Amino acid sequence: MSESLGDAPRKLGLDAWDQRYAALRQAGLSEPEYGGPLGRHVFERGDLRLRHLEFDNSAAALRLWNFLLTENERLRQARTRGEKIVGTMKDLGTVPVMAYALPRVRAFYPDGAWWTPCLMECSDGLLQQADLQGIDGSFCPVRALLPAFETEAHFPQPDWLVCSTGAVCDDFTAIAQRLERLGHPICWWEMPRRRSPDPGEPACTLPGGGLAPAVQVQWVRDELERVRAGLSGLVGQPLTDEQLRDGIREANRVRRLLGALREAAHGAPSAPLPALELLVAEMLTLHFCSDRDETVAVLAELLVEVQTRCAQGHAVLAANAVRVYWVNPVADLRVLNRLEEWGGRVCGSDYMFTHALDLIPETLPPLEALARTALADPMVGPTADRAERIVAECRAWGAEALVVARIPGASHCAREGAIIREEVRAKVGLPTIDLEIPPVCDAMLPTLDSRLQALLEAARARRST
Amino acid sequence: MQIFFSSPWIPAEWIRAHGLEARALGFAPDLDLAAARPGAGVCAYAEAVVGWLERHAESAAVFASTCDQMRRAFDIATRRAPSRSFLFNVPATWQTPTAGQMFRAELERLGRFLEALGGRAPQAEDLVRRLADSNGKRRRLLAGAPRCRAHAYAAAVARFHWDGSEAVIEPSGPLPAEAVPLALVGGPLPMAHWGLIEALERAGGRVALNATETGERSLLPQFRLDQARTDPVAALVHGYLGHSVDVFQRPNTRLYAWLGQQVAAWRIRGLVLWHFVGCDLWRAEAQSLREAFRLPVLVLEAGEGAGDSPRSLGRLEAFLELLKSAASNPAVAATADKPEAHPATEASEEPR
Repeated sequence: MSESLGDAPRKLGLDAWDQRYAALRQAGLSEPEYGGPLGRHVFERGDLRLRHLEFDNSAAALRLWNFLLTENERLRQARTRGEKIVGTMKDLGTVPVMAYALPRVRAFYPDGAWWTPCLMECSDGLLQQADLQGIDGSFCPVRALLPAFETEAHFPQPDWLVCSTGAVCDDFTAIAQRLERLGHPICWWEMPRRRSPDPGEPACTLPGGGLAPAVQVQWVRDELERVRAGLSGLVGQPLTDEQLRDGIREANRVRRLLGALREAAHGAPSAPLPALELLVAEMLTLHFCSDRDETVAVLAELLVEVQTRCAQGHAVLAANAVRVYWVNPVADLRVLNRLEEWGGRVCGSDYMFTHALDLIPETLPPLEALARTALADPMVGPTADRAERIVAECRAWGAEALVVARIPGASHCAREGAIIREEVRAKVGLPTIDLEIPPVCDAMLPTLDSRLQALLEAARARRST
Repeated sequence: MQIFFSSPWIPAEWIRAHGLEARALGFAPDLDLAAARPGAGVCAYAEAVVGWLERHAESAAVFASTCDQMRRAFDIATRRAPSRSFLFNVPATWQTPTAGQMFRAELERLGRFLEALGGRAPQAEDLVRRLADSNGKRRRLLAGAPRCRAHAYAAAVARFHWDGSEAVIEPSGPLPAEAVPLALVGGPLPMAHWGLIEALERAGGRVALNATETGERSLLPQFRLDQARTDPVAALVHGYLGHSVDVFQRPNTRLYAWLGQQVAAWRIRGLVLWHFVGCDLWRAEAQSLREAFRLPVLVLEAGEGAGDSPRSLGRLEAFLELLKSAASNPAVAATADKPEAHPATEASEEPR
């Protein structure tokens, strides 16, 4: 569509996008029900941050953003239709595969509320309300989910809440515990701390290539059986292996599309898609943005756009942009724009849920396959394992620098960033930085900019040597 | 060889049954919190544990997986001393058969680690004897709490966790009758921070309940000896998993149930929530504690010092002044009597 209008790929601010939207409509753009100009999200929902972001100018990106930004409305519509809504927390990518295997069930991550203060530039007051609920600014912005449950102004109340615990982030499990004390019962399931198998110990290969002791896989499988029982009870019918197998196949459809998208985007000599859109695309794999079929359609269109651009030698960023590997999601989306503004591009990423990108084994019993997937979570194992995958991807994608985004108040960030940076420096020799990014980073932009510039300069200097 | 453990939920009885010395890291005299120099957001206690292990090449450490900080500290330790570091996966849930299987499997794995360090395979009879011995000591220590002032009691608990021995609890000199009974709640309170206890007393309070990770709470595991005679490892699993009470558990209802009993029994009038930097698990409970017990809660962050920094002291004094002024209200003062018998002393001879 963008090519038909003769527009080269580029990034647009919100106003320019709305003008482009009118032109696209005139040219015959057809959209799904949730479509419309991006600017409406500012006025209708208060997503003020959009005014300060730049977006890819393709129709595929428009669809992606509209899909993302209408999730709460779509969930409410599902509720109205009598569908069951599952709030799944922390595991990032496993329980939703089970939930969507059932008819008339939608699962979403209340954890996603952590981006609401950013999108609404804190105008929603969620963080201030979380303060009053006893979870102050020293905690991860995911604390925004607490008042979101109370006010119901964002997502609808789930019919059932399920949360992984054990070797998961303390900040999240602490906030989830507070949520339960506030009157929202939670089904907790145990995630053991993944370890390497001992010599001679039976082991299983995990998606992504790692290994875990077979006994840990069995425990997680048993825990997921409890989750299955909970889901079955919710809908009043058993969640069968056959349904789970279908669910896994559909989830893999999404993951294959995303894999192809990442491959095309990260592997291209010049960036065919900006980092923000790539981040949003990755997020779709977590719970399919509450609509699995539509996720497939959104990603498929985005992939075609990227493949077309690559085939035509088009890019959205300068050809000499510094290739940066990005670790951890950004609390403020604007930072990814800034990286590109200063001459960088994201050529690889670990947004804390790489296990949701890997294909789920289809030849194993379904809960065994899901248990292996859950255990591949980079956050439940040794940081060295996570660093190893990052190092491998830095090499594979030709990264020239690495950024570790620190999530304010996240208990795991204090240590793991240092370990990852040390490994990357030692094994790939890349310049690295650590950036703490608050939900609205405007006040820190001068500092963030100068640190990003320094990193990119260091990476460019290495080119000449 | 000395095996140091970072949490009271790692069974010292199991380590000792392997013929090795088990020592609680929190009570190591040279656990140097002041030298830890943790980075931003890093727990000084976890950092000190890593530093301690580096300085003690002759010893090994068993970390508990109960918090992010300790799991990440293990990540560091295992890079520097891989053969001397072990991470014990303590499940956060306890209600399921899976949790019991995990705990048992971790015990067996720990056993292999200990044997690789020179330990011997445990003998069933020896383990049963150790469990019976531990039961008795834990009960007597808990029963001794009412007779003992907080510092001396902390020393007695420390001694038990240090080498398994039992200090004779001598009745301590009384505090002024008007001293406000407080519960000290939170994570580890290592020896270096015991100054906090005196600071509380100087400010006009008394630690009627030490509910930190290194206080009375750490003594709760009890072992079923009838079960131990047929399956001592199962008794060990049940003893710890069935009786441990901590903030990391999900849900953490056992912590609140236990604290509720203690708060009532000791007529507690205020809670001091003590935590290290970066301890999300405890910090997140401050409001829930206020709501659950309808008591004032003072949140104190552990620094490098002994818990008696000028800032901490100022806050403690203000907190106690508030509690005392509340006591001048007869309705409140009526609840400030001498504590009743410690609930733990009422435990049956044969635990559940």
